Amino acid sequence: MNTQKWLRPLRRILALVVLAAFIIIFSDVRGKLPSAWVGVFTSIQLVPSLLKMILPLSLLSGLFLVLIALTLLSGRVYCSVLCPLGISMDVANRMLRWMPFLRRKARFKKAANYVRYPLLILLLLSLFSTGLFALNWLDPYANFSRMATYLYQPVYIAGSNVLAHAAAHWGVAALQAVPVNPFIPLAFFSALSFLLLVFTLMLFRDRLYCNAICPVGTFLGLLSRFSFFRVQIHKENCSQCGACQQVCKSDCINIKNLTVDTSRCVVCYNCLGACNANAIRYSAQWKISEKAVRQRDPSKRAFLKAGMLFMGAAPLLAEAKGHGANALCFWSRGVALPPGSQSLKHLKDKCIACNLCIASCPTKVLQPAFLEYGFTGMMLPKMDFQKGYCNYECTHCGAVCPTGAILALSAEEKKITQIGKAEFRPGRCIVKTEGTACGSCSEHCPTQAVHMVPYGDNLTLPEVNADICIGCGACEHACPVEDPHPAIFVVPHEVHQKAQLPKVEETTEVKNDHDDFPF
Amino acid sequence: MKRRAFIRTSASVSLATGALFSMGEWHSLLAAETPNLAYDLVAVKNAVPALMFDSGIAALGGMKQYVKPGQRVVIKPNIAWDVPPERGSNTNPELVGQIVKHCMEAGAGEVKVFDHTCDEWTRCYSSSGIGDAVKKHGGSMVNGNDEKEYRSVSIPKGRILKETRVHRLILESDVLINVPVLKNHGGAKLTVSMKNLMGVVWERRPWHSMGLHQCIADFSTFCKPTLNVVDGYRVMKKNGPRGVSEADVAEMKYLILSANMVAADAAAAKIFGIEPADVQYIVLAEQAGLGTAKLDTLNIKRIAL
Repeated sequence: MNTQKWLRPLRRILALVVLAAFIIIFSDVRGKLPSAWVGVFTSIQLVPSLLKMILPLSLLSGLFLVLIALTLLSGRVYCSVLCPLGISMDVANRMLRWMPFLRRKARFKKAANYVRYPLLILLLLSLFSTGLFALNWLDPYANFSRMATYLYQPVYIAGSNVLAHAAAHWGVAALQAVPVNPFIPLAFFSALSFLLLVFTLMLFRDRLYCNAICPVGTFLGLLSRFSFFRVQIHKENCSQCGACQQVCKSDCINIKNLTVDTSRCVVCYNCLGACNANAIRYSAQWKISEKAVRQRDPSKRAFLKAGMLFMGAAPLLAEAKGHGANALCFWSRGVALPPGSQSLKHLKDKCIACNLCIASCPTKVLQPAFLEYGFTGMMLPKMDFQKGYCNYECTHCGAVCPTGAILALSAEEKKITQIGKAEFRPGRCIVKTEGTACGSCSEHCPTQAVHMVPYGDNLTLPEVNADICIGCGACEHACPVEDPHPAIFVVPHEVHQKAQLPKVEETTEVKNDHDDFPF
Repeated sequence: MKRRAFIRTSASVSLATGALFSMGEWHSLLAAETPNLAYDLVAVKNAVPALMFDSGIAALGGMKQYVKPGQRVVIKPNIAWDVPPERGSNTNPELVGQIVKHCMEAGAGEVKVFDHTCDEWTRCYSSSGIGDAVKKHGGSMVNGNDEKEYRSVSIPKGRILKETRVHRLILESDVLINVPVLKNHGGAKLTVSMKNLMGVVWERRPWHSMGLHQCIADFSTFCKPTLNVVDGYRVMKKNGPRGVSEADVAEMKYLILSANMVAADAAAAKIFGIEPADVQYIVLAEQAGLGTAKLDTLNIKRIAL
């Protein structure tokens, strides 16, 4: 009888709590969740926590160290109960039970060291040449988040809108329909390809992605070799029946040699439940096993050495590409960066393209970039004033950003963060061309940087005071002139500036203490 | 057995009357008969919005003059912006709440409130305080930013605006209560009742390029609220319609009630401090025969509290 059978249900409950939290986060299309709550689950993701640690004065900066300590203490618990991608794989794999023809029995397989270590080293090197670009396409959290944004959320919105309309039809106003997300081919197809890749690997060998490709898995695997608690086979009880090996997600139990490869073990505890002899147990290891020491292979060292050399030279290769010409033309104006992202350099240094900001942007002004930021800036968030404009009071993107790529701004800071300046083209404005009253731009302007001044006979024409403009894009979005471009538009800054506060002139108080009416 | 039969009969009778009643009122909104009123316009001043409404509606004979038991009521305040009530950009929430309360007391079957907002709608509904005020008094908020809810209508009397898409609540409800907030508008000079109805249509951009004032007047030939309640409590004097800070706002403590939009807007213009003749859509609406801006020809009740 195995005494540790309770460990697996515990792992499952914790994992399902985390997965449920992520499903709730990406289902929050009506903006009901407090961003602090979202932060609890995104900040415990490894790569975001690392990026956040580099950021000074962050309250959450210690979480990366906590995750390291957790792995050194108890193995790759992260992969089983904190990583939403890993948990999703487990859930999908569990569902395969209903499709017996797709099921397979696990056997011990050699670790794919020749794939995972070189890949990790190449990724580390790429940090110096293309920044986070390569990592972003492999990081499990970023990938999960993008799949949730572009594959799950549209389905959820469609479903809930159908329900909302059905409810409205039957006279219940319990649910409100929400706008459908725009379809972005790059975003959709990249998320779909990743899903297919992971699913295929999973059919083939369960957690193969985690043990061959995933940079987080490989990194934590290096640590978990030395973990204090680990799954171990106790020879005295083992009859080498192989039941544990058959349920292993990582194919890392070698029943012949009675060893468990802790660098691949994701501590799912499946094996504990399979063993009737209490021979495989999750227990403390009092001395570093010789096995772990012996496993170091020379090719890895060579890679590390070459890597060190390359790292020295890498900054020289780093991109020095500028962002948009400073011309004041609509077509060459560049792309506006989300408020709080400071500069394209800061965004590229910190953003893992998880697109959580895009998924939770209430006005849909945030959209994934294609090549606007250059090749390595693909899928990073940009402001698209065609789709919407940045709500003056809103600070949501910075609040949910798990890496600090978009810094959390207070509402006061956000209101003076100038991401660009509005440019007005009087020659295109309908007040001039059609002689009609409009003022749509000024109407939407939260600071009245765009204000109306008398023009001709009983008309008003927009005028821009760029000092107090924050570049929110409300004027551009609202402008009725479309073809080929609006009469007013935002020219973004490469590095965000500070706007002046709008001048506050007290309205001369209208005396109203009498009882007379003006008619 | 007898009692059961009696219950059954009376239930079916009341069901049938209910059905007849609702069918009879189906299209009453657009062909609305003006309730029998002693006054063309009631103006109230010098109190909080809810109190001013209480005395204003009492002077018109109470809400039961406008809302019959079981009727579907839609209230259209201005909820365009994600700003708090102190800024005067949206209609006063206590006023909207009080109107919902009066409608419920008059026996309304349902009271729905919406606006096609400019800023993101959920934030507007909550920041304005209107969402909470409406729910507190038993009304419900409806999303006005859902394109699927808009129906194409033709505007036979429109000069340039011949067709537009209107929220289905406007077409399906029995009573429309228009509750604009009086404020400065950079493009249209002033926004009151007629301008507020831009919040029930889907495509607003073409209105600007076609001719804003004419479109506002044209739409007023189609959509005639049962009652207009103009919130002149906090009046945005400049930087409208969104405003920049509370400094744009003057506490003027007025309220206007009228079934006629031209009269209501003319009186509001006077309160704001400009002549109705300077606001082009008021002039155009008057020309279209929608009412008169000559306030001295109207039967006005003035109440100073």
